[in-house]
Amino acid sequence: MREPPVDILDTYRQEAGLSHGELWLRYFEFGGMSTAFELEAYLYGVLAPSTYDHDLIAHALNERFVELGGNHPVAYSEAIRAK
Amino acid sequence: MTTDSWPQFGVTTNFEGTEAVVALHGSVEHQGAFTLGATLDAAIDRHPASIVLDVSELDSIGPTGMMAIANAERRLAQMDTTLTIRSPSDLVNRLLGMMEMAEMSRLLDRVAAENEHVEKHEAKALPLMGAPSGQDGPSEDFRRVTAMPSDPDVIDGALRLIVELARALVEGADGVSVSLLRHGRLSTVAASDQTIMDMDTDQYKTGEGPCVDASIQGQRFHAPALAGETRWPAFTPQALGLGINAILSSPLKALDQPVGALNIYSRTPLAFTTKDQAAAAVFAKKASVILSDAGAGVSDTQMAFRYQEALLSRRTITLATGILMEREGVDEEAAFSDLLRLSLYHGEPLRQQAQTMIQSARELELGPEFGLDA
Repeated sequence: MREPPVDILDTYRQEAGLSHGELWLRYFEFGGMSTAFELEAYLYGVLAPSTYDHDLIAHALNERFVELGGNHPVAYSEAIRAK
Repeated sequence: MTTDSWPQFGVTTNFEGTEAVVALHGSVEHQGAFTLGATLDAAIDRHPASIVLDVSELDSIGPTGMMAIANAERRLAQMDTTLTIRSPSDLVNRLLGMMEMAEMSRLLDRVAAENEHVEKHEAKALPLMGAPSGQDGPSEDFRRVTAMPSDPDVIDGALRLIVELARALVEGADGVSVSLLRHGRLSTVAASDQTIMDMDTDQYKTGEGPCVDASIQGQRFHAPALAGETRWPAFTPQALGLGINAILSSPLKALDQPVGALNIYSRTPLAFTTKDQAAAAVFAKKASVILSDAGAGVSDTQMAFRYQEALLSRRTITLATGILMEREGVDEEAAFSDLLRLSLYHGEPLRQQAQTMIQSARELELGPEFGLDA
């Protein structure tokens, strides 16, 4: 299987029409503890987010896609998918 | 990903008087980014009057490379020194690549084209027209850690880049500018030359013109031949007087709200082909992304409201997570996972799911039996 590009999360962000600032706020709303700068690093694949952070970001993006009438394109971690 | 696939990266520093010229070759990513960061730090430590980053030999640059440049730019900004990005050859292609990066990191301060002096002149002259007077609001240090809006100077820099690109790529273009609504007034934040600056000012003064209409109505306004134009009787003669015969103003939007316009001017009537109009739309869209990312057009009140709302959501979700921790005897992350799964299962937004959970917990607590089987 081919690896997704490192900045796949930022590609989703752009598709979702969210600014970095707005995505960070949404992530923060869910209880995220990383700074806006760290979040950008996760999005570009420069830093690897923890499973928890990844799921927060994935869900922030997915909720936005649902708002836009879409589905949940961003994959969650195994922890969410397993059960 | 391996580093083998990346072309070799090299960096050289030359001091020309008080100016440091840092030239990049190959591809900046991974280790190259660290080398670049260290090189820039070393150059900055020698306190040059300015630093020029020559990217004409650069093949590609990734996020880590951009961060190295962003860090250097931050250091330099604190020292009141400018970072100029120079790309004398193969200008258009490089700039196109750079534009994607500008969008990513909102970094590019200014691009020095072949005529550096003109560029310096413009870069210094423009903020006088566009920048708000006085720096009210958060201090420099504080601004670095807030999520939005971004430093207006950096945004203006990115917009100047768009102006350069539009002028180079739209065939009929003799001049380009970007107008933005700031504090309820239109002003030009980037323009390719003084005539264009005057054109914009004439529109603001008369309160009419394609730029004003596009900025306020959020739609494209195209005046293919000004000689026959009837829509802007006060402005049109002034434009013709300055030798302008065609204008194409594309709206800029931040978070779907009109906030300004990308204006392209031509001395030739009927200069803008369908292809030019499509290209203008693309540049306007790029600029809109930069503005949206910067939180442009969002008032302080709206921003404060949004922050308050976010704090409330966070409190709700944290409380629901706490209830689950207590109930399930699990740690915070596991409790959050449970909440997230519930939200996905019920197809409800997380905040709503959290609210439901708090509500039911409260009902349980207030119930006469105070028991779980109530």
